Amino acid sequence: MSQPYSCAAIPDDSDTHSGVSNAKLGVWLFLASEIMLFATLFTSYIVLRMASPSWPWGWDVLNVPLATLNTVILITSSVTIVMAYVKAYDKNKAGFQMWMAATLLLSLGFLVVKGFEYGHEFALGIGPHTSVFYAIYFTMTGLHGLHILGGIAVNGGLLYMSGVEAHWENPLFLGRVEGAGLYWHFVDIVWIFLFPALYLL
Amino acid sequence: MSSSHDASPDPHRPNVALYVKVFAALMVLTLITVAISKLHLPRHQAIGLGLFVALIKAALVGALFMHLWGENKLVHNMLFLTVAGAAILVLPMIDFMMVARKVTSPADVAAQHPNEGGEGKHVEIRKSAKKGN
Repeated sequence: MSQPYSCAAIPDDSDTHSGVSNAKLGVWLFLASEIMLFATLFTSYIVLRMASPSWPWGWDVLNVPLATLNTVILITSSVTIVMAYVKAYDKNKAGFQMWMAATLLLSLGFLVVKGFEYGHEFALGIGPHTSVFYAIYFTMTGLHGLHILGGIAVNGGLLYMSGVEAHWENPLFLGRVEGAGLYWHFVDIVWIFLFPALYLL
Repeated sequence: MSSSHDASPDPHRPNVALYVKVFAALMVLTLITVAISKLHLPRHQAIGLGLFVALIKAALVGALFMHLWGENKLVHNMLFLTVAGAAILVLPMIDFMMVARKVTSPADVAAQHPNEGGEGKHVEIRKSAKKGN
Protein backbone atom coordinates (compact mmCIF):
# COMPACT_ATOMS: atom_id res chain seq x y z
CA MET A 1 0.00 0.00 0.00
CA SER A 2 1.44 3.35 -0.99
CA GLN A 3 2.00 6.12 1.50
CA PRO A 4 -0.10 9.11 0.43
CA TYR A 5 1.41 12.56 0.67
CA SER A 6 0.30 14.04 3.95
CA CYS A 7 0.77 17.35 5.70
CA ALA A 8 -0.24 15.84 9.02
CA ALA A 9 1.98 13.93 11.38
CA ILE A 10 1.62 10.23 10.82
CA PRO A 11 0.01 8.89 14.01
CA ASP A 12 2.08 6.70 16.27
CA ASP A 13 -0.39 3.83 16.00
CA SER A 14 -0.09 3.65 12.20
CA ASP A 15 2.09 1.14 10.39
CA THR A 16 4.96 3.59 9.98
CA HIS A 17 5.13 4.69 13.64
CA SER A 18 7.00 7.78 12.50
CA GLY A 19 4.89 10.49 14.11
CA VAL A 20 6.48 13.04 11.75
CA SER A 21 4.97 14.75 8.73
CA ASN A 22 6.45 13.76 5.38
CA ALA A 23 7.62 17.32 4.73
CA LYS A 24 9.43 17.63 8.05
CA LEU A 25 11.03 14.21 7.64
CA GLY A 26 12.20 15.23 4.17
CA VAL A 27 13.73 18.46 5.47
CA TRP A 28 15.54 16.61 8.26
CA LEU A 29 16.90 14.06 5.77
CA PHE A 30 18.15 16.93 3.62
CA LEU A 31 19.76 18.55 6.66
CA ALA A 32 21.39 15.21 7.52
CA SER A 33 23.07 15.23 4.10
CA GLU A 34 24.11 18.84 4.70
CA ILE A 35 25.67 17.87 8.03
CA MET A 36 27.77 15.28 6.20
CA LEU A 37 28.80 17.85 3.58
CA PHE A 38 30.01 20.38 6.14
CA ALA A 39 31.55 17.63 8.31
CA THR A 40 33.83 16.69 5.41
CA LEU A 41 34.77 20.34 4.91
CA PHE A 42 35.54 20.80 8.60
CA THR A 43 37.64 17.62 8.44
CA SER A 44 39.57 19.10 5.53
CA TYR A 45 40.06 22.26 7.56
CA ILE A 46 41.39 20.31 10.57
CA VAL A 47 43.70 18.15 8.47
CA LEU A 48 45.08 21.12 6.51
CA ARG A 49 45.57 23.11 9.69
CA MET A 50 47.33 20.27 11.52
CA ALA A 51 49.55 19.48 8.55
CA SER A 52 50.52 23.11 8.05
CA PRO A 53 53.77 24.27 9.70
CA SER A 54 52.13 27.59 10.58
CA TRP A 55 48.57 28.90 10.66
CA PRO A 56 47.61 32.58 10.73
CA TRP A 57 45.55 34.10 13.50
CA GLY A 58 42.23 35.39 12.18
CA TRP A 59 42.67 38.78 13.85
CA ASP A 60 45.84 39.34 11.79
CA VAL A 61 44.56 38.37 8.35
CA LEU A 62 40.76 38.72 8.36
CA ASN A 63 38.26 41.41 9.34
CA VAL A 64 36.99 40.12 12.70
CA PRO A 65 34.72 43.12 13.53
CA LEU A 66 32.83 42.61 10.25
CA ALA A 67 32.55 38.87 10.90
CA THR A 68 31.26 39.59 14.42
CA LEU A 69 28.67 41.93 12.91
CA ASN A 70 27.65 39.12 10.53
CA THR A 71 27.33 36.72 13.47
CA VAL A 72 24.98 39.16 15.21
CA ILE A 73 23.01 39.59 11.95
CA LEU A 74 22.63 35.84 11.44
CA ILE A 75 21.62 35.11 15.04
CA THR A 76 19.07 37.94 14.85
CA SER A 77 17.71 36.46 11.61
CA SER A 78 17.26 33.13 13.39
CA VAL A 79 14.98 34.90 15.86
CA THR A 80 13.08 36.77 13.17
CA ILE A 81 12.39 33.59 11.19
CA VAL A 82 11.20 31.76 14.28
CA MET A 83 8.91 34.74 14.97
CA ALA A 84 7.64 34.44 11.38
CA TYR A 85 6.83 30.80 12.15
CA VAL A 86 4.95 31.86 15.31
CA LYS A 87 2.88 34.31 13.27
CA ALA A 88 2.20 31.69 10.58
CA TYR A 89 1.11 29.32 13.36
CA ASP A 90 -1.30 31.99 14.59
CA LYS A 91 -2.42 32.62 10.98
CA ASN A 92 -1.38 36.25 11.40
CA LYS A 93 -0.59 37.23 7.83
CA ALA A 94 0.68 40.77 8.49
CA GLY A 95 2.86 39.58 11.36
CA PHE A 96 4.30 36.77 9.24
CA GLN A 97 5.10 39.11 6.38
CA MET A 98 6.78 41.62 8.69
CA TRP A 99 9.05 39.04 10.37
CA MET A 100 9.83 37.22 7.12
CA ALA A 101 10.70 40.53 5.43
CA ALA A 102 12.98 41.30 8.39
CA THR A 103 14.64 37.90 7.92
CA LEU A 104 15.19 38.62 4.24
CA LEU A 105 16.66 42.06 4.97
CA LEU A 106 19.04 40.57 7.53
CA SER A 107 20.05 37.82 5.08
CA LEU A 108 20.81 40.40 2.42
CA GLY A 109 22.68 42.42 5.03
CA PHE A 110 24.83 39.37 5.77
CA LEU A 111 25.68 39.00 2.09
CA VAL A 112 26.45 42.71 1.71
CA VAL A 113 28.85 42.60 4.68
CA LYS A 114 30.41 39.41 3.35
CA GLY A 115 30.71 40.95 -0.12
CA PHE A 116 32.41 43.98 1.38
CA GLU A 117 34.85 41.68 3.19
CA TYR A 118 35.56 39.64 0.04
CA GLY A 119 35.91 42.83 -2.01
CA HIS A 120 38.54 44.20 0.35
CA GLU A 121 40.46 40.91 0.21
CA PHE A 122 40.31 40.74 -3.59
CA ALA A 123 41.46 44.37 -3.80
CA LEU A 124 44.56 43.38 -1.83
CA GLY A 125 45.19 40.57 -4.31
CA ILE A 126 44.16 37.93 -1.78
CA GLY A 127 42.29 34.91 -3.14
CA PRO A 128 41.98 31.15 -2.70
CA HIS A 129 45.36 30.80 -4.45
CA THR A 130 47.16 32.89 -1.80
CA SER A 131 47.64 30.17 0.82
CA VAL A 132 46.13 26.99 2.23
CA PHE A 133 44.43 29.09 4.89
CA TYR A 134 42.75 31.35 2.34
CA ALA A 135 41.84 28.36 0.15
CA ILE A 136 39.85 26.72 2.95
CA TYR A 137 38.54 30.12 4.13
CA PHE A 138 37.10 31.00 0.72
CA THR A 139 35.78 27.47 0.16
CA MET A 140 33.93 27.27 3.46
CA THR A 141 32.61 30.83 3.62
CA GLY A 142 31.75 30.69 -0.09
CA LEU A 143 29.71 27.51 0.30
CA HIS A 144 28.04 28.99 3.36
CA GLY A 145 27.24 32.11 1.34
CA LEU A 146 25.62 29.94 -1.34
CA HIS A 147 23.46 28.39 1.37
CA ILE A 148 22.44 31.90 2.44
CA LEU A 149 21.45 32.62 -1.17
CA GLY A 150 19.37 29.42 -1.22
CA GLY A 151 17.67 30.47 2.02
CA ILE A 152 16.89 33.90 0.58
CA ALA A 153 15.25 32.24 -2.45
CA VAL A 154 13.10 29.96 -0.27
CA ASN A 155 12.18 32.66 2.25
CA GLY A 156 11.43 35.12 -0.55
CA GLY A 157 9.20 32.52 -2.17
CA LEU A 158 7.30 32.02 1.08
CA LEU A 159 6.91 35.78 1.51
CA TYR A 160 5.48 35.96 -2.02
CA MET A 161 3.17 32.98 -1.37
CA SER A 162 1.90 34.57 1.83
CA GLY A 163 0.31 37.31 -0.28
CA VAL A 164 -2.02 34.74 -1.85
CA GLU A 165 -4.96 34.03 0.43
CA ALA A 166 -5.37 30.46 -0.83
CA HIS A 167 -2.03 29.47 0.70
CA TRP A 168 -3.27 30.43 4.16
CA GLU A 169 -6.15 27.99 3.70
CA ASN A 170 -3.70 25.23 2.78
CA PRO A 171 -2.42 23.34 5.85
CA LEU A 172 0.83 22.58 3.95
CA PHE A 173 1.85 26.25 4.21
CA LEU A 174 2.77 26.07 7.91
CA GLY A 175 4.91 22.97 7.21
CA ARG A 176 6.74 24.88 4.48
CA VAL A 177 7.45 27.76 6.82
CA GLU A 178 8.69 25.31 9.46
CA GLY A 179 10.94 23.57 6.90
CA ALA A 180 12.39 26.90 5.75
CA GLY A 181 13.01 27.81 9.39
CA LEU A 182 14.83 24.53 10.06
CA TYR A 183 17.07 25.13 7.06
CA TRP A 184 17.80 28.69 8.12
CA HIS A 185 18.71 27.64 11.67
CA PHE A 186 21.05 25.02 10.21
CA VAL A 187 22.80 27.73 8.16
CA ASP A 188 23.11 29.71 11.40
CA ILE A 189 24.66 26.72 13.21
CA VAL A 190 27.23 26.28 10.44
CA TRP A 191 28.26 29.93 10.85
CA ILE A 192 28.43 29.48 14.65
CA PHE A 193 31.29 27.01 14.03
CA LEU A 194 32.84 28.80 11.04
CA PHE A 195 33.20 32.09 12.89
CA PRO A 196 35.53 30.89 15.69
CA ALA A 197 37.28 28.31 13.50
CA LEU A 198 38.33 30.77 10.79
CA TYR A 199 38.32 34.18 12.44
CA LEU A 200 39.11 33.77 16.12
CA LEU A 201 41.12 30.68 16.99
CA MET B 1 -8.49 13.53 21.90
CA SER B 2 -7.70 17.18 22.48
CA SER B 3 -8.56 19.74 19.89
CA SER B 4 -6.87 22.99 18.93
CA HIS B 5 -10.17 24.70 19.72
CA ASP B 6 -9.98 23.74 23.40
CA ALA B 7 -9.92 26.54 25.95
CA SER B 8 -6.73 25.05 27.43
CA PRO B 9 -3.43 26.50 26.14
CA ASP B 10 -2.05 24.88 22.99
CA PRO B 11 0.96 22.77 24.05
CA HIS B 12 2.44 22.95 20.53
CA ARG B 13 2.36 26.73 20.30
CA PRO B 14 5.90 28.16 20.00
CA ASN B 15 7.14 29.89 23.16
CA VAL B 16 8.06 33.47 22.23
CA ALA B 17 9.44 34.39 25.68
CA LEU B 18 11.84 31.44 25.45
CA TYR B 19 13.04 32.56 22.00
CA VAL B 20 13.89 36.01 23.36
CA LYS B 21 15.89 34.45 26.23
CA VAL B 22 17.78 32.21 23.78
CA PHE B 23 18.52 35.22 21.58
CA ALA B 24 20.00 37.08 24.57
CA ALA B 25 22.05 34.02 25.55
CA LEU B 26 23.40 33.66 21.99
CA MET B 27 24.48 37.30 21.93
CA VAL B 28 26.28 36.97 25.27
CA LEU B 29 27.96 33.75 24.13
CA THR B 30 29.09 35.46 20.90
CA LEU B 31 30.76 38.18 22.98
CA ILE B 32 32.38 35.50 25.15
CA THR B 33 33.72 33.74 22.02
CA VAL B 34 35.31 36.98 20.79
CA ALA B 35 36.68 37.73 24.28
CA ILE B 36 38.28 34.27 24.53
CA SER B 37 40.23 34.93 21.34
CA LYS B 38 41.60 38.18 22.82
CA LEU B 39 42.75 36.61 26.09
CA HIS B 40 45.97 35.34 24.51
CA LEU B 41 45.55 31.91 26.04
CA PRO B 42 47.73 29.06 24.78
CA ARG B 43 46.32 28.18 21.37
CA HIS B 44 45.01 24.70 22.23
CA GLN B 45 43.22 26.11 25.29
CA ALA B 46 41.67 28.92 23.24
CA ILE B 47 40.52 26.43 20.58
CA GLY B 48 39.02 24.10 23.21
CA LEU B 49 37.19 26.93 24.98
CA GLY B 50 36.03 28.55 21.75
CA LEU B 51 34.64 25.30 20.37
CA PHE B 52 32.97 24.55 23.71
CA VAL B 53 31.12 27.89 23.57
CA ALA B 54 30.24 27.24 19.90
CA LEU B 55 28.82 23.85 20.90
CA ILE B 56 26.63 25.49 23.56
CA LYS B 57 25.38 28.02 21.00
CA ALA B 58 24.66 25.30 18.43
CA ALA B 59 22.86 23.22 21.09
CA LEU B 60 20.67 26.21 22.01
CA VAL B 61 19.73 26.84 18.37
CA GLY B 62 19.15 23.14 17.68
CA ALA B 63 17.23 22.32 20.84
CA LEU B 64 15.05 25.41 21.12
CA PHE B 65 14.85 27.18 17.74
CA MET B 66 14.72 23.94 15.74
CA HIS B 67 12.55 22.32 18.41
CA LEU B 68 14.78 19.26 18.71
CA TRP B 69 13.97 19.35 22.42
CA GLY B 70 10.83 17.24 22.49
CA GLU B 71 11.08 16.35 18.79
CA ASN B 72 9.97 12.96 17.54
CA LYS B 73 12.22 10.00 18.31
CA LEU B 74 12.59 9.22 14.60
CA VAL B 75 14.27 12.59 13.99
CA HIS B 76 16.55 12.07 17.01
CA ASN B 77 17.58 8.62 15.78
CA MET B 78 18.21 9.90 12.28
CA LEU B 79 20.41 12.72 13.57
CA PHE B 80 22.26 10.32 15.83
CA LEU B 81 23.01 8.10 12.83
CA THR B 82 24.18 11.14 10.85
CA VAL B 83 26.49 12.37 13.60
CA ALA B 84 27.82 8.83 14.11
CA GLY B 85 28.45 8.56 10.36
CA ALA B 86 30.25 11.90 10.35
CA ALA B 87 32.34 10.82 13.36
CA ILE B 88 33.32 7.60 11.58
CA LEU B 89 34.56 9.73 8.68
CA VAL B 90 36.21 12.46 10.71
CA LEU B 91 37.77 10.90 13.82
CA PRO B 92 40.09 8.33 12.18
CA MET B 93 41.40 11.07 9.88
CA ILE B 94 42.16 13.37 12.79
CA ASP B 95 43.70 10.50 14.76
CA PHE B 96 45.89 9.62 11.77
CA MET B 97 47.01 13.23 11.43
CA MET B 98 47.87 13.50 15.12
CA VAL B 99 49.87 10.27 15.09
CA ALA B 100 51.61 11.10 11.81
CA ARG B 101 52.51 14.56 13.02
CA LYS B 102 53.91 13.25 16.29
CA VAL B 103 55.90 10.42 14.76
CA THR B 104 57.46 12.59 12.05
CA SER B 105 58.27 15.69 14.11
CA PRO B 106 62.11 16.06 14.40
CA ALA B 107 61.98 16.48 18.18
CA ASP B 108 59.95 13.32 18.62
CA VAL B 109 62.17 11.29 16.29
CA ALA B 110 65.24 12.43 18.23
CA ALA B 111 63.56 11.54 21.53
CA GLN B 112 62.66 8.06 20.31
CA HIS B 113 66.14 7.37 18.89
CA PRO B 114 68.61 9.07 21.25
CA ASN B 115 71.63 7.07 20.00
CA GLU B 116 71.15 7.96 16.35
CA GLY B 117 72.43 11.13 14.77
CA GLY B 118 69.45 11.86 12.58
CA GLU B 119 69.02 11.33 8.85
CA GLY B 120 72.79 11.57 8.06
CA LYS B 121 73.53 8.72 10.42
CA HIS B 122 70.83 6.59 8.78
CA VAL B 123 72.38 7.23 5.35
CA GLU B 124 75.84 6.29 6.61
CA ILE B 125 74.52 3.05 8.09
CA ARG B 126 72.81 2.20 4.79
CA LYS B 127 75.99 2.99 2.77
CA SER B 128 78.22 0.88 5.03
CA ALA B 129 75.71 -1.97 4.88
CA LYS B 130 75.84 -1.87 1.06
CA LYS B 131 79.65 -1.90 1.05
CA GLY B 132 79.64 -4.91 3.37
CA ASN B 133 77.49 -6.76 0.89
